[in-house]
Amino acid sequence: MRRSWNNNYQSYAARILPGEYYVTKNDEGVYTTLGSCISACIRDRVLGIGGMNHFMLPSTGAAEVDAWKASSQSSATRYGNYAMEHLINEIMRNGGKRQNLEVKIFGGGRILENMTDVGERNIAFVRDYLQLEGLQVVSEDVGSIYPRMVVYFPSSGRARVKRLRSLHTNTIVKQEISYIDTLKAKPVTGDIELF
Amino acid sequence: MATITPADLIKDIGGLVTLPDVYLKINRLVDDPNTNSADIAKAVSQDPSFTVRLLRVANSSLYGFSSKIDSVPKAVTIIGTAQVRSLALSMSVASSFAGLPNELVSMDNFWRHSLLCALAARHLAREARRCDPDALFTAGLLHDIGELVIFNRLPDQAREALELVLDSQDEMPIFQAEHEVMGFDHAEVGGELARQWQLPPLLEECIAHHHAIANAKSHPRETALIHLANIIALMAEIDTLDPDDVPPIDPLAWELTGLNEDSVEPAMRAIQAEVVEVEKLFLGNS
Repeated sequence: MRRSWNNNYQSYAARILPGEYYVTKNDEGVYTTLGSCISACIRDRVLGIGGMNHFMLPSTGAAEVDAWKASSQSSATRYGNYAMEHLINEIMRNGGKRQNLEVKIFGGGRILENMTDVGERNIAFVRDYLQLEGLQVVSEDVGSIYPRMVVYFPSSGRARVKRLRSLHTNTIVKQEISYIDTLKAKPVTGDIELF
Repeated sequence: MATITPADLIKDIGGLVTLPDVYLKINRLVDDPNTNSADIAKAVSQDPSFTVRLLRVANSSLYGFSSKIDSVPKAVTIIGTAQVRSLALSMSVASSFAGLPNELVSMDNFWRHSLLCALAARHLAREARRCDPDALFTAGLLHDIGELVIFNRLPDQAREALELVLDSQDEMPIFQAEHEVMGFDHAEVGGELARQWQLPPLLEECIAHHHAIANAKSHPRETALIHLANIIALMAEIDTLDPDDVPPIDPLAWELTGLNEDSVEPAMRAIQAEVVEVEKLFLGNS
């Protein structure tokens, strides 16, 4: 995990890439850049323990129209469920309490004009997941056409979202595609860890 | 690997990117004191595709003339010979650079930012007065031309610089990332290209120094306008008026141009509205 000093916020922050997550008890930030991927930022608002994930659902065949639904147990949502559960479990392992959790969601942009709206599907999934889990979203910045840079501070709950110029679109798309390729390379076997 | 300089990059692109004959002819004629506007109109008329596009631009809302401009001599007389040269260069350049493809950034996105900057520069030039809005338009259109050279000639380093920006928490400006990776930036490369092409000194300075305006010696005012126009173009693109969302404006730019922060919002709104039509005029295929 790459951590660097942030002059604006006078604190360290860790950089996560697609497929990664980071949870901290310390007074530090976590940041990422998003195209059509989603980052959920979750923390225990009492203890200030929390973190961020970064994921998307792989594409599915036309037969699986409802495959984005968190409860569908499709091959696609396993990765979304996995990303969400890992983040939440790690927060709870560090002492977070479920009833204190507060959630912010970012990303899901339609950053390529001529692409089917995979961002929209990722947004639908995360909303559905959070509703099923009974977790409340306190703020969000999702959809639209812009790539984003998100910095989140779990100790205060503060998040800063910056839209990125299209100069960065292809670099972000490339990072997201190589993440999707690693998902495809891994067979979907084995159970999701449940607590 | 031996250290590469901007001059090395420019040396070997001569065969890939060339300015069209119509621009070179107009350029020679405008600089020749013995020619008149009829000679320039004749040079324009020899290129049918350029003629069509020049008339389309002359009749567009960019100029807003009340009567229809239906002939090249009329266009040259009304718009002015120096301005026709600027337009010829502006219209040539996007098609010339089609010969320099890259896999890092889509040409549509690249030219949209360039056009937003061109429109902002034109807008600010009119407001600041005492400078040629058409020359500033061209300077805005060409200000990042060095990027296309870097993307094509040094794709690995260019990718590394782009990734460095994303890894930085505060969206480090791309010219700074290029410096860290390559030891020079796109402004220097663009300046070198302008020198090689013998573009007017105003363009060379604006291209070479739009990120470091204190280094502009012969056209500091125009360079400062391009510096401002670039940042306003970025604001227009991501649709924000928050200065924290874009790279900082060098305060020297206000001093040099006599403008102030009040100019930002009107310019940003104006270019957001104009870019749709102008994109068709300058980047259309016909």
